[in-house]
Amino acid sequence: MNERDKGMAIELSSLSFGYGERLLFEGFNLDVAAGEFLGVIGPNGAGKSTLLKLMAGLLKPGQGSVRIHERELRTIGRTELARTVGVVLQENPFAFDYTVADVVMMGRNPYLGRFARPGRQDRQIAASALEFVDALFLSDERINAISAGERQRVVLARALAQEPKILLLDEATSHLDIAHQQMIARILVELNRQGRTIVLLSHDLNLAALYCSRILLLDKGRAAACDVPERVVTAELIRSVYGLEPIVTRHPETGRPQVMLPVATGSRG
Amino acid sequence: MRRRLLPGWAGLVLLFVFAAALSLALGPGGLAGTNSSAVMNLRLLRLALGIVAGGVLAVVGASLQGLLQNPLADPFTLGVASGAALGASLTVVLGRVSGAFAPVGGFAGALVTMLLVYALARVRGRVTVTALVLVGVIMSFLFSSLVMLVMILGRRTLGEAVYMMMGHLGTVFTGTTAWLFGAAALLAVIGCGWLFSLSRSLDIMSSGEEAAETLGVDTQRVTRTVFVLSSALVGMTVSFTGAISFIGLVVPHLVRMLFGPAHRRVIPGSFLAGAGILLLSDVLARNIVPGGLPLSIVTALVGVPFFIYLLRSRL
Amino acid sequence: MRLTRFVLTIAAVMVAGCQKQPAANPGLRVVSLVPSVTEIIYAVGAGKALVGNTNQCDFPEAAKCVYKVGDFMSPDLERIVALRPGLVLLTLPVHRQLLDKLTEMRIAVYVSRPADIKAVFHEIDTLSRLLGRKASGESLVADLQRRLDSVPVSSDTPRVYVEISGTPLMTAGGGTFINELLSRAGGRNVFASSVQEYPVVDPEAVLEADPEVILLLHPDMSASDVAGRVGWGNISAVRQRRVYDRMDEDLLFRPGPRIVDGVVLLASFLHPGH
Repeated sequence: MNERDKGMAIELSSLSFGYGERLLFEGFNLDVAAGEFLGVIGPNGAGKSTLLKLMAGLLKPGQGSVRIHERELRTIGRTELARTVGVVLQENPFAFDYTVADVVMMGRNPYLGRFARPGRQDRQIAASALEFVDALFLSDERINAISAGERQRVVLARALAQEPKILLLDEATSHLDIAHQQMIARILVELNRQGRTIVLLSHDLNLAALYCSRILLLDKGRAAACDVPERVVTAELIRSVYGLEPIVTRHPETGRPQVMLPVATGSRG
Repeated sequence: MRRRLLPGWAGLVLLFVFAAALSLALGPGGLAGTNSSAVMNLRLLRLALGIVAGGVLAVVGASLQGLLQNPLADPFTLGVASGAALGASLTVVLGRVSGAFAPVGGFAGALVTMLLVYALARVRGRVTVTALVLVGVIMSFLFSSLVMLVMILGRRTLGEAVYMMMGHLGTVFTGTTAWLFGAAALLAVIGCGWLFSLSRSLDIMSSGEEAAETLGVDTQRVTRTVFVLSSALVGMTVSFTGAISFIGLVVPHLVRMLFGPAHRRVIPGSFLAGAGILLLSDVLARNIVPGGLPLSIVTALVGVPFFIYLLRSRL
Repeated sequence: MRLTRFVLTIAAVMVAGCQKQPAANPGLRVVSLVPSVTEIIYAVGAGKALVGNTNQCDFPEAAKCVYKVGDFMSPDLERIVALRPGLVLLTLPVHRQLLDKLTEMRIAVYVSRPADIKAVFHEIDTLSRLLGRKASGESLVADLQRRLDSVPVSSDTPRVYVEISGTPLMTAGGGTFINELLSRAGGRNVFASSVQEYPVVDPEAVLEADPEVILLLHPDMSASDVAGRVGWGNISAVRQRRVYDRMDEDLLFRPGPRIVDGVVLLASFLHPGH
């Protein structure tokens, strides 16, 4: 399917944003086509989380515009936005001990009127979201009583219960062991295969390089590169942005670039 | 799941009825007092006051705990109670009007505090719950000190200030204030109902403001609404009864232990439990010591063992 | 601070066109931190020795002209010391810290804390001797005692409810001055049995006690407000319209020479027509 036919999922045009006096983003542009799997990588402080929040409408740009499915974000109603864009943030503190089922049901909020209670269809959708992330067996557990990996999946399920066409994830795998990382990756690939646009922020260059269709390398609010992984995950670019001399190899199964770090010698080079 | 909750609700209703009955039966006049209509009028008013105060404080406590994502929040976190106390004490000390109008002054004080806290917490047009808490707590300290100052300058005995800060159900009603209270009670019920209607939003907001935004919750509107309602409700209550502590903090937790954290159960449950526990505490406070103990002391003494018992039975 | 002092001094001088009087006992400079003690000082004719008192010392008129060292609740130590007093009169527990500091500085201190009328007379006696006005003191006490004794004793002692505060209801217990004044005036405090000095009372308890006379000792509420209280309509005092308000509280709360005036005032309420 030609991605261009499906139109743009997210468009950032001439975006300017800063915390306080200093501007982080200035005249920033980015297009995310519908059905893309975009990875966003970059050093700490590059602005990854900020970018995600701007896309999600959690932050308002000082100048410029954000368009979702070719409509100005400003003009999209809160509820409609919540039915279109699902967001998984890095921190998910739960002040009270809701059950996993309760938490996922919160994802149905955009479809429930003020006084409406979740109906059978809502329960079905919530259940299948949990099943999709392989966490249905946790339904009656308390959210604060499960492991970090299970919690990550539950929060993802909550976002899926919104039935979003776009999924924004901030570090979906940072606290997880390799088995769970693999599981999340598998889930994301499947979601993307179903036609959802995915934007994944990650510290894990290899994960992004392995699965994403394009990678945005962010450096201090500037796009150092935005292209297919082969052209972004290169020794030169990584050196220029991270200041490291990486060893770039190819993954034996797909040929995607993978990064290995040189051995640290313990003396300041 | 539903069958497990029924004993909880039954228990709360029983507690409420029992406490109400005791409140009507016991008093300095004893059971004999039930014969006199004057005494019964007093007791009924006290009962109504206790129900409204206990219910409101618990419901506001539950709502604020959800909104502020903080199990330690209570109705007085946002500074409104101190403002109400200040308003009431200023009215009594400065006003040429009869001291019976303290409740009006208290309510005015609460409203002023609410506006002040909200205005100060607004940054770039947005109010985060963190900002609200910080400003509210500071204001609380400030106004509490001012209450003490007003009491001293006004040549009141400090005992009065203590009672206002520690709460009591012994308000004397004149015809006018009884009507005022009636109106306040009606508004209180409406206010609690409004908070109840925000149950789902509160559930979601208790899991993080940003996450709530992405799930379609209008966090600014919910924050504003809960804040205004809480302030008004607390202001009304405190202006009649002074600041009764403990109920707003612990009763919601008791109810959560019974029913889980969903606000659609916690809010009504808190109303029942708050009213019941407050009435029970008042019965004890009036009858143990001839002069009557300050209510907050008794609510703590009654509430804590109850809480510990429940806590341990769940562990 | 200086401006306030200046303004206060000017105001004080302008009030009643008074002037500072030369010291009668040139050696002794007295500072009084207690309004009732100030009254005693003037009553025994030792007003000239007074070099400083508090904002609340307002009786007699002359007391208002004296240099003010601050509020009764929190007098200014610096100002007190600056007057080089030979004797400072204070009370406890309000002036606890001040007492400690003054003792440290070796300034003579007298603690006024009379518990009943007899103690007030004793205090007048003691103070008059300290101030070198022994004869005045003795005659004052004798006069007061005579007036006290001439308060008619009636056969009936009406039940009295004394209200110190309206929100919440607070009354005076058995150990208070007001209680003693009441009994001397021929009344019975319905809450005399209370252990606390100023206990908060349940409105129902007042109904139970059914007082025949109600005294409102706070300016918040008037007699008609009290009569309008829910459930209070049937109290004897309300029915017989024997609720009294707006009286000079100083007569009842200051343990000084006017305490007997207080008794007389109460007697006039309790037994009108005598």
